Amino acid sequence: MSQSSSATIPLRKFGRADAQVSALGFGGHHLGEAPDEKTAVEMVHQAVDGGITFFDNCWEYRRGKTEIWMGAGLKGRRDKVFLMTKTCPHGRDANLALAMLEESLRRLQTDHLDLWQVHGMAFDNDPELFIRPKGAAEALEKAKKDGKVRFVGFTGHHSAKVHLAMLQTGFPFDAVQMPLNAFDANFKSFERQVLPELNKRGIAALGMKPLNGHGEAIKNGVVTAEEALRYAMSLPVTTTITGMDSLEVLHQNLQIAENFKPFSESEMQGLRDRCKPDAADGRYELYKLSLKFDNPEARLAHNFPLDTEQLEVKDMLGAQQNTGHPFPEKQF
Amino acid sequence: MTDSFEWNRRKFIKSAAILGAAPFVSEGTMAQQSSPTQRDLPGRVPRRPLGRTGLQVSALGLGGYHLGSADTDQAANEIVAKAIDYGVNFFDNAWEYHDGLSEERLGKALKGKRDQAVVMTKVCTHGREKKIAMRMLEESLRRLQTDYLDVWQIHEVIYENDPELIFAQNGSAEALLAAKQQGKVRFIGFTGHKDPEIHLKMLSHEFPFDSIQMPLNCCDATFRSFETQVLPEANRRGIAALGMKSLGGSGELVKFGAVTAEQGLRYAMSLPVATTISGIDSMQVLDQNLRVAVNFQPLAAAEMQSLRDQCKLAAADGHLELFKMTTKYDGKVGREQHHFPTVEQLPL
Repeated sequence: MSQSSSATIPLRKFGRADAQVSALGFGGHHLGEAPDEKTAVEMVHQAVDGGITFFDNCWEYRRGKTEIWMGAGLKGRRDKVFLMTKTCPHGRDANLALAMLEESLRRLQTDHLDLWQVHGMAFDNDPELFIRPKGAAEALEKAKKDGKVRFVGFTGHHSAKVHLAMLQTGFPFDAVQMPLNAFDANFKSFERQVLPELNKRGIAALGMKPLNGHGEAIKNGVVTAEEALRYAMSLPVTTTITGMDSLEVLHQNLQIAENFKPFSESEMQGLRDRCKPDAADGRYELYKLSLKFDNPEARLAHNFPLDTEQLEVKDMLGAQQNTGHPFPEKQF
Repeated sequence: MTDSFEWNRRKFIKSAAILGAAPFVSEGTMAQQSSPTQRDLPGRVPRRPLGRTGLQVSALGLGGYHLGSADTDQAANEIVAKAIDYGVNFFDNAWEYHDGLSEERLGKALKGKRDQAVVMTKVCTHGREKKIAMRMLEESLRRLQTDYLDVWQIHEVIYENDPELIFAQNGSAEALLAAKQQGKVRFIGFTGHKDPEIHLKMLSHEFPFDSIQMPLNCCDATFRSFETQVLPEANRRGIAALGMKSLGGSGELVKFGAVTAEQGLRYAMSLPVATTISGIDSMQVLDQNLRVAVNFQPLAAAEMQSLRDQCKLAAADGHLELFKMTTKYDGKVGREQHHFPTVEQLPL
């Protein structure tokens, strides 16, 4: 369609591994906000044609809808992409994580993942629960050994300290995902605390939330979408995953990525300084301070109360069929 | 005691999921119905020094927020009167509680008894300048029907940049000093429920605080701990430590079966604090707390440790201390000043 065949998005090395991915990644969560499956499939097609190879998803997004739509979009194109999804045990057992993997593979219509990550490290005891006997660490090991996933990693948006504690477990992660944007640089910063550690260890760093999750700072005119995305992509990361819920946003992002030139260090610092006054109390990074961006699965596993106003909870409570909630005793 | 409370987390979560959120239940839900009288409860709540101020305060303090949650003015009056009868003399409040109702109720209840009370209230500038703080002070004094405060604290120091804003030129720290100099307040301090690191950042300014208020309970002991990080520092400096949220803010520690109300309060009161401020919105809750506080005997070190151990697993992810983990306990004025969404928009 609007993409020329010469469109190129830069490819970058996936950490110390022998793989390359596009510097811009296609976020799975927002795909569920596309008006319908047809649009979602068209978005995936155009993204692949436009040179995006990195596709993000997660078992618990929109109760499976985003994996199903992405699977439909990638049909016949699977070998052109680097496919990642996440498992959501939230401290629970390895066998649950593996059951989720089977479900993800089925929904995504594939027999393997390029990257499989443990989703949403948030709580102080998540690292301990991950590495314990029968914890999710064993699932990552087994899935890799069985050839169902090429690489493994973890994600989270709450706490740089929890990320560092995950690294402290000594588990051989291939990738780590975290929020990276010009606000993060001055507030409970992943950029300052976690990113250098990943670079040092040769672990692929995956940035997310370049626009703070839902573009709040852009709506309020603190930064432009282009500045925000370019900032995130200019960091020493493997890819920057950004959510796209319409063809329009996809086209905008493809254009930025195709013309991508890294900011100079002084431009980076200028942007950090501009965002600093608004960054200091976390108003644009509520995912670090509240449970707003956490899926109900995480809250249930950790005994936190649910928020019925949350879209995901509405999905869950209104679901006609339980599309894979792991605990049969919890009936909603 | 422990055995009488079942570990019913799963059941609770199920109902919470259906209802949407944990119901707000005051700490009083756990209280027994029987009411102690002078006859069956002889004695008084012991007094302790308020840091180096020279004041003596009751080891149990009456929380101001819940006074505004009591059913009627009359109920609030009776709670205060009975608390005083049993030796409670420390009264907590804040300019922003229930839009002033909490201060007004305390003012009425203390009429004619002002000299028996150590009255504390808090200023709610949330980063704004000195002159706003001074205006709030006048309003608090008027509502509390007094011409001086015993303790005036900066409320809800919970946002990362609060220390910076408070100590900025013309910030709230200057208001504390001015009010003290004018004789309108005797002692000054600050409060916050979020993060020990923010408290320590406040202390690093070497400002002459007389008091410092923080959440202290048997889950805090092993989770983002004020007890291990801030309390020793306050003690070392001779700053009066005021404990709060002994049961998790809304009785979460009890509701989820981590401890009984009595264990929770006893634990908090056994720490090296001047007082433990407890939210009391009914006679039942007052009676429950008085049963612990009258003739209070601290727990032995081994008993303290066993309560910490008992709570450790439940404490580890913070689900019993929502004030540290979520925005649930963050007040309206502070959210507005920091451009945070409202409680309705951002419930947790």
